[in-house]
Amino acid sequence: MEERLYDLIFICRPATPEEDVNKIVATLEHSATEHGGKVDKVERWGTRRLAYRVAKHREGFYVYLVVRGTKADMIKELERRLKVADPVIKYQTIRLDEELKRQSKLARHRERRAGRRPRKPAAAPQAPPAAEQAAPAN
Amino acid sequence: MADQPKNEPPAAPEATPPATPQRAEGRSSGPPRREGGYGGGGGGPRREGGPPGGGSGGPGGPRRGKRQFFRKKKVCRFCVEHVDFIDYKKAELLQAFVQDRGKILPRRMTGTCSRHQRWLGEAIKRARNIALMPFATEL
Repeated sequence: MEERLYDLIFICRPATPEEDVNKIVATLEHSATEHGGKVDKVERWGTRRLAYRVAKHREGFYVYLVVRGTKADMIKELERRLKVADPVIKYQTIRLDEELKRQSKLARHRERRAGRRPRKPAAAPQAPPAAEQAAPAN
Repeated sequence: MADQPKNEPPAAPEATPPATPQRAEGRSSGPPRREGGYGGGGGGPRREGGPPGGGSGGPGGPRRGKRQFFRKKKVCRFCVEHVDFIDYKKAELLQAFVQDRGKILPRRMTGTCSRHQRWLGEAIKRARNIALMPFATEL
């Protein structure tokens, strides 16, 4: 099966000690590898203000993971672990691979169009800036 | 007031008794009809000039024609920057496309193209789910 890419964000209670957060991340990594997946990236955003109250907290410690895997069971297991974990007050998994595929497709499309443009004399000066803008957007 | 209608209906139903009810009815039902008329008239220009139409709906006709000359063509911000994917994690960026209370702004206000508006709405909803953006601001 085709490999899938997921964004996984979870929020811990603001009072959670750093070790507990590390422990949760470690268990997630472990169970991801157990199910044939891999954690690509771990980002700790730190304590941020929540847009609304969650479990009576106005602040939360955000952790952002990028996970890739082929089995749907992996996400099921990761979410179950987050649900069970006491310090975690909220989590969200989003499948991203299809959107990234669409993004790269659109970028390719645009590059091809930009490459074609210089043939027309009127559009020629506009083509180089378009190509330059395309690069940072990705 | 109460005696007059009771006494006079048989004699002169058209003169005084109907006059008072008509006035009362006129006050209650008249203005809404007029507003409805303005609203219907505003329906036409709303397609192009939504925000100003809401503010100056009262003056109506004469201004409506002028406004077309001053309207600036809005351009989709995401198209200009060639954005292929709207990141739900950039809450500050998304904040520009919601009202103060957290409602998603319509396309006619922001000028976003339909494709990007669709992606934008999705991103805002994702951000809301993970508490990066409010569903509704608490006051």
